[in-house]
Amino acid sequence: MASIPSSSSSPSPSQPKARKKPGQTTSPPPPPQTKWRTGTQERLYSRRLVDALQATRDRAQPPESVGSRAVKEAADSALAMTARGQSRWSRAILFNRNSCRKRVLVKAGGKIRRHRRKHQAIPPAMEGAGATSGVLKERKVKERLKKLGRIVPGCKKLPAATLLEEAADYVAALEMQVRTMRVLAEALSAAAVSVPEEEEMEIAEQGS
Amino acid sequence: MSSRRSHSRHSNASRITEEQINELVSKLQMMLPDAPIRRNSRVSAKKVLQETCSYIRSLHQEVDDLSERLSELLASTETDSAEAAILRSLLMQ
Repeated sequence: MASIPSSSSSPSPSQPKARKKPGQTTSPPPPPQTKWRTGTQERLYSRRLVDALQATRDRAQPPESVGSRAVKEAADSALAMTARGQSRWSRAILFNRNSCRKRVLVKAGGKIRRHRRKHQAIPPAMEGAGATSGVLKERKVKERLKKLGRIVPGCKKLPAATLLEEAADYVAALEMQVRTMRVLAEALSAAAVSVPEEEEMEIAEQGS
Repeated sequence: MSSRRSHSRHSNASRITEEQINELVSKLQMMLPDAPIRRNSRVSAKKVLQETCSYIRSLHQEVDDLSERLSELLASTETDSAEAAILRSLLMQ
């Protein structure tokens, strides 16, 4: 089973599916756009992000202060955790952070296998099923698919359909990440300008 | 179990129809920023994939920029508790 290192277990009502079968695609999952745009997800993510940023700042040596790369990694990890390990890219992010050990990846059952090249070097099913699917056979489409697989974390060697699903989920999640980080940055820069106590009242008014 | 999974994936993959792929591609197309414009004409899968790649890249770039901005902002805040209080009150909406 997937051992997902999520410390805070906050139940998110927008995801009724249990995390028991991460690989199953029989029951239709909620479409990525709606899934990632619910207020619940955004709140969850922003809380995780804030916590992660706080932790990063506490961990960093005070004179150095937090680097942008650390912020990005914290944001990505928080995003992956908010995905609750239900997508391959999120599992890939989390496992890359925690350990680079390949056996962890294999055990996760998330099909992020780096050693099993012989299974995935040729996509035989695609070629074998072959006759009907015209779009997929074009070389350029395959190239683009490969490119996409390289960009989405953990999806280097996936069959086309899975890759497309992962990409859709990833795009929606990234959009949410950008939105949340922007809100956070605006809030922080607004707070930095004026006095904290007064700002708190002002923001509370604006927020409601 | 892993071999069974890969077996099922192969047999499932052979059942994945062109239609399914097209559906996924159009779903992806709808998520792209200029989707409303393009919706009428059927865009080729090639184009959709290419635009998805560049869109994801631009999102990554935005995340990097925001990260940099956030790191500067975090560095400039002096009091932890005040900032945390502000953020929490903001997020508790």
